[in-house]
Amino acid sequence: MLKDSEAMQQLVAIVKLQDQWIKHRASALYIDPLLLELKIQLITKEELAESFAKCWHPIAQLDQLTPRGLEKAFVYWRELVPFSERFKDQFGNYGQQTGMIGLEELESLSIFTKEEFETRLNAINKELVERSNGKEIDYRDFIMGKDPEETALRGYLIAFVVTEGRATLRTDPLTDQIFISTMQGKPGDETRSVAIAVR
Amino acid sequence: MSESANPPDAANPPTEAAAERASLDRKTRRAFQVLILQRGRNPGVKGWEMRRYLGKDYKKILEVLSDDLKPLGLEVHLVPGPEGTDDSTRFLLRFRDSPTLTEAETAGFRIDDLAVLAATIALVNSKQGRISRKELESFLKGKFPRWRIDYSIDRYIKRGYLDVDDKELIRIGWRTRAEIDERSLMTLILAQGTQNKAAGK
Repeated sequence: MLKDSEAMQQLVAIVKLQDQWIKHRASALYIDPLLLELKIQLITKEELAESFAKCWHPIAQLDQLTPRGLEKAFVYWRELVPFSERFKDQFGNYGQQTGMIGLEELESLSIFTKEEFETRLNAINKELVERSNGKEIDYRDFIMGKDPEETALRGYLIAFVVTEGRATLRTDPLTDQIFISTMQGKPGDETRSVAIAVR
Repeated sequence: MSESANPPDAANPPTEAAAERASLDRKTRRAFQVLILQRGRNPGVKGWEMRRYLGKDYKKILEVLSDDLKPLGLEVHLVPGPEGTDDSTRFLLRFRDSPTLTEAETAGFRIDDLAVLAATIALVNSKQGRISRKELESFLKGKFPRWRIDYSIDRYIKRGYLDVDDKELIRIGWRTRAEIDERSLMTLILAQGTQNKAAGK
């Protein structure tokens, strides 16, 4: 019985579609789609536009601000969330501003102990002396670790080595390549702060 | 003396006629104001609203208005509603004569945009009133650049010339029904090639 009613429903749908098809074919708007497609491809854009313009009767109407429209605009403006708050749901906060982190803070976060820090500083300085052998080497190659965390840590340690005057940095203005070398003798007076992005 | 100048029997009929004429004028003016000012999102006024504003003889008043607007090149046009009843019929004011191509361009329509719309309306009508966007784009791609097709279709959907149903099929929009004589458009497109051929001969 259920199968019969389903079959009947499908038959009704087919008859309905056939009815629509016959009505459309009998209507004044019926033109063979293939013929029409061919015609449209053959005629120029200007001819198409001209055909359109000839049977076009644009609506004449005045747009004006109504009291209802004004009220809607007022409600919209009143309920508009400030720009800084608007996309918080999708993108969250704008995040913490970049800042400085000192050795004391690292110690308090248990990332370093004082002894461990000194040991690591001496180790990286020794590695620099060995690898540079009195010459300049590429800074980025030198600080490159096996993962981004290690690279950041080596960059952090080498910043202390440079600050203590045990190494120096030089930037090639043409290639923007940064070189590091061990410092010979005492550091001079011409020291300056350099910010390097570690990737 | 006064009686002979204004006999009561002769004076009544002209006064009644004048009153009727004044009432008709007032209602015609009212009809024009109702039609010319946009009140909702879509232009035009439905039959039931017209009856409320003008009374049950609103169709006669609109006929008078349409005649009065002839010198201005406007007419009252009716678009049958989906239910096919008088109440759902939408009345609106539109240009009696078609604009020239130059006038259309001045109004901000590029020839390419009009050509896309003309081809789309003709194709949709030939495909029983609906076509998938993909099929439409693929057809128009042979004649227009891709970016213009996307831009134009979206623009015409927004303006009511085209419509998209819940199955993502493109259909003819209410504005096309109101502004464009679709039957003439199809005939003109089909005649374009033959006209040129005849002119060439």
